[in-house]
Amino acid sequence: MTLSTFILKNALRNKRRATLSVLSVAVSLFLLVTLQVALRELMNPINDEGSSLRIIARNKVSLAQPLPARQLAVIERIPGVAAVSPFTFFGGLYKGDEKFTSFAQFAVDPARCLPLISDAKIPRDQLEAWLADRTSCVLGRMTADRYGLKVGDRMQFTGQLYPCDLEFKIAGIYEGTADDRNLMFHHSYLDESLGNPGTVGTWWVRAASIEEAPLVTARINAAFANSSAEVRAESERAFVLGFVSMWANIKTLITGISVVVVFALLLVTVSTMSMAIRERFRELAILKALGFRRRELFAFILAESFGLAVAGAVIGAGGAWLLFANLDIQKLTNGLFLLFEVTPRMLGLAFGVAALLGVVAALAPMWSVARASVVQGLRTLD
Amino acid sequence: MAAAPIVRIRELSKIYSQGDIQVTALDNITLDIAAGEFLTLMGPSGSGKSTLLHIIAGIDRPTRGQCLVQDVDVTRLNESELADWRNHNVGFVFQTFNLIPVLTAFENVELPLLLTRLGARDRRQRVEAALALVGLADRMHHLPKQLSGGQEQRVAIARALVTDPQLIVADEPTGNLDAHSAQDVLKVLQLLSREAGKTVIMVTHDPKAAAFGSRSVHLEKGELMK
Repeated sequence: MTLSTFILKNALRNKRRATLSVLSVAVSLFLLVTLQVALRELMNPINDEGSSLRIIARNKVSLAQPLPARQLAVIERIPGVAAVSPFTFFGGLYKGDEKFTSFAQFAVDPARCLPLISDAKIPRDQLEAWLADRTSCVLGRMTADRYGLKVGDRMQFTGQLYPCDLEFKIAGIYEGTADDRNLMFHHSYLDESLGNPGTVGTWWVRAASIEEAPLVTARINAAFANSSAEVRAESERAFVLGFVSMWANIKTLITGISVVVVFALLLVTVSTMSMAIRERFRELAILKALGFRRRELFAFILAESFGLAVAGAVIGAGGAWLLFANLDIQKLTNGLFLLFEVTPRMLGLAFGVAALLGVVAALAPMWSVARASVVQGLRTLD
Repeated sequence: MAAAPIVRIRELSKIYSQGDIQVTALDNITLDIAAGEFLTLMGPSGSGKSTLLHIIAGIDRPTRGQCLVQDVDVTRLNESELADWRNHNVGFVFQTFNLIPVLTAFENVELPLLLTRLGARDRRQRVEAALALVGLADRMHHLPKQLSGGQEQRVAIARALVTDPQLIVADEPTGNLDAHSAQDVLKVLQLLSREAGKTVIMVTHDPKAAAFGSRSVHLEKGELMK
């Protein structure tokens, strides 16, 4: 027998409690990792070169307030603007029987928006078909695959934000963008369906270079300052984050839940370790009598506590990593999340929390063992 | 007394304080115990016999006085030194056996040897010899719950002597045993004193158990009775 064997046998002497302790740590750390992944996916939109060039201009009052279509002529004359297109979120329900449609439909000016989606790969004939047919659309590959749609199929949407239903013929299927879920259709088709109101949801702008993007943003804001429809232009990343922030302070909420999870976990682990050591208090006194020093007893307690916590982390955080790596998260979340990646940093956080738990949970038992003399320990037994 | 004293106790007192109340557990004890002696400490409950045994074994400290074991004043050792000293010089046998329930008889006996520098082979030899000495060579892979009370106590004795200490202290070792098992245990302790030359100090209030010892001393209200 070695000291490690002795520690292991002690840790597993009450198998049910050890299993439940490990599982409580595992479930909590699984939850912690899941929350961290969700937070990361929400707070860190994809940030490629294309998105760095793209600027979104919306009504300064609110995203829900439309902008006048006449602003187009002003924006395209602003220095540094390489392309501009209307960009209106339609927000219809696909087939009308879904409670929540996970992919967005945007009304754009197809000819103008091509430079804005330069990373999209779409066969030339399909692109030409889209440009030529006002009631057609192009659809992202992910959504097409999800619904088993192909070129030539028709899609019907029930308007939720706008008082009209729309039907599109799929002219092309694109892929290669950071988010191959969206549907894009002719803004003129939406205008016609709404009786030509002369408004757009937002403007989608491409800056000539990354260096010019902040300047262009400032110039757009300045161009409509003190007008009847002031705009708020911002980078695509800032826009997406602003969109997320409309769900309330999601970051604070998730961080708060994470802290509560860790605190609850700490209470459970401390309680478990205290129980385990209190049950063995007499044995620890015997070990002291046999010649084991305080530091050796501390090491036993710490190793046991640390071992249980880390075993929980291996199952919880490792399980999350394995699960999310093999799960079709897009399908599972109805497209809310494109990716659900457990990063090494999150694994590090989970193992760090586990290590800290192991140490903190061992402190109280170590303190009581340090304070008690052999005779006190023996008295608890006789 | 046949041999030189291995334990020399001089003017030893132990007073417990509980708030304003002071309880004298040991009052000015002076006692010599010879090497190889089987001494029994007798007396009624609360007479201080267990306290005296604990001080001799280095698991309790006196309020004043001196306790020299093999010329080491155990009252002056710090906690870490005492732990080390106990591991090398004292073997403990308790009333309630106090074996670790998840360890086999072999592993329980091996436990004190984990603190030494002995290799696995040497440890095995020592453990097997100790278990053979107490007549449990065929029970070494049994867990405590698979042993009778008498066998458990004999495992505890094997654990006490596996480090080859000069001093074996036993606190009412037969208190939880039937008469037959108690006799077996007492015979083993007697054998250790007579044949192996170990100094055995046993606390008991049973005159039949005390009869196995070579000398008895009586305590009453913390005082040694002449």
